[in-house]
Amino acid sequence: MSKGERRVYQGVARGQPFEIEVDGEKIVAYEGESIGAALLAAGRRTLRYTNKLEQPRGLYCGIGLCQECRMTINGIPNTQACQTLATPGCRIETQKSFKNRES
Amino acid sequence: MKVCDFIIIGGGPGGIAAAIKAAQAGVNVTLLDENERLGGQVFRQLEKGFKVADPDALGPDFKEGKELLHQFYSMQDKIRYLNNTLVWGISEDHTLALARNESSSSLGFKHLLVATGAYDRPVPFPGWTLPGVFTAGGAQKLVKSEGVLPGQNILLAGTGPLQLVLADQILKAGGRIEAILEAGNIGKNWLRGLKGIWGNWDFLKEGMRYLRSIQKAGVPLLRSHVILEARGDGHVEEALIAKVDKNWRPRLNTARSVKADSICLGYGLVSSTELAMLAECEHKYDLRQGGYIPRRKANMETSMPGIYAVGDGAGVAGRKVAIEEGCIAGISVASALGSIPRANAREQIKPCRKRLDKINRFRKILDDISLPRKGLYELATDRTVICRCEEVTLGQLKAALADDTIQIKDLKRMTRLGMGPCEGRMCGPFVVEMLRHRPNAPVEDVGCLKPRPSIKPVALGVLAAEKPVENTEA
Repeated sequence: MSKGERRVYQGVARGQPFEIEVDGEKIVAYEGESIGAALLAAGRRTLRYTNKLEQPRGLYCGIGLCQECRMTINGIPNTQACQTLATPGCRIETQKSFKNRES
Repeated sequence: MKVCDFIIIGGGPGGIAAAIKAAQAGVNVTLLDENERLGGQVFRQLEKGFKVADPDALGPDFKEGKELLHQFYSMQDKIRYLNNTLVWGISEDHTLALARNESSSSLGFKHLLVATGAYDRPVPFPGWTLPGVFTAGGAQKLVKSEGVLPGQNILLAGTGPLQLVLADQILKAGGRIEAILEAGNIGKNWLRGLKGIWGNWDFLKEGMRYLRSIQKAGVPLLRSHVILEARGDGHVEEALIAKVDKNWRPRLNTARSVKADSICLGYGLVSSTELAMLAECEHKYDLRQGGYIPRRKANMETSMPGIYAVGDGAGVAGRKVAIEEGCIAGISVASALGSIPRANAREQIKPCRKRLDKINRFRKILDDISLPRKGLYELATDRTVICRCEEVTLGQLKAALADDTIQIKDLKRMTRLGMGPCEGRMCGPFVVEMLRHRPNAPVEDVGCLKPRPSIKPVALGVLAAEKPVENTEA
């Protein structure tokens, strides 16, 4: 495994790769990957900032319970990155604290 | 509204086993599962597009699950299975509230089986909210079904056999583990349980295989160790670890730092009882079995007639117990509906019960080692966030604890504890234990964070789009 690589390739066959966009940056995702997994593989661990303390949060429970991975996905806020499959061209934004949101 | 003879909530091992048994007896079964794919957490299937060269590398549970799933699919014409279906409420008149593919519906039942599983026990400590801290279950899903490692140098901390399973999977995937911290003292307790090991050789063999794989990779397995703190600028960069005494209280003179970019926490599981509680089934508190769990009769029926509960959601005991309990519940419901004669049901249940007894002997040894000790609930400091959603710190909770009569529901009112979107799942289990450890407070007055519908966030647009469940296909 090369340095910095988080995807496992040995013995794993994946579907088609495609691009998704995170905060304006293009990264690669594969068919069947959750957005949370694709972001983690790209080295992006902070998915949102909390409202009161403005602390960074990332994937925690990974199974749709803790709500820590809430991001704005295709314009819809509070969408769980761990439960949403990546699709070609989907647009994702890190969810900001209330204070730092534009609208 | 349609009324079903038998609805099962949860497509893990318990729910699937119950569905198969009941359908075999001729019952009209409806199985509702929240996920895209059947299997629950333990029998989770690979995501679409993924294939693995060596399915054995995914562990014996994957193979076992495949066989059970195969049996289920072969009976699909007899079982109505709805995926992507969230059950978010239950009302007194035996009606379920569902959300499915952006619309909502209701469904009535005569008999109901709640097989909602469990999740990793949340244990707060300084830095546990940093990105890079995962639950063992979450990390397992990433590695097993999405082929992504949680980090490049991984630290495992927790207790019990599940973290050995995770370690084995990370190593097989080519990941690097810095160390595995086991809070319990495995060596000391292991021999005491010889009687329980007798006849449970496959469990033992499985465990030994994991230990060998960990040893072969040169990963240190540190017994009687916990993580005290996760540190880093914006994400995990290092962990502070220490040796603990028999109450799992850290010996601070043994504290040292370990470099790690990710931490996986596996302190056992707690039962998901939200739906059983909404259904007003009577619950009891048993830390060993996963916190609050529904009281059940031998046929798996709860205190509410016609409502059954099996598997980890009714007491954490693993996939094998879930399957046996699921079989018993499926047969019992078939008998209650008159699909099979009572005597026939009794005969069918006998071997299940026998296997259950054998497994439970072994479980007891594991539970003795892994039962969370007091010290685990003393790691958080006043600044540690306990309620992740509402950002309530331990200091704020302590300030609200004016006297020993304060119950968890008072804390909720005073601090907004448990009122965020996770609905108290991440803070509740810790706060209950924290309150139970107060020296003068009577334990039965602690209470719990009562779940409210919807038990998971549901968008208003989904609630407004009501249609019959038949019309909710994507």
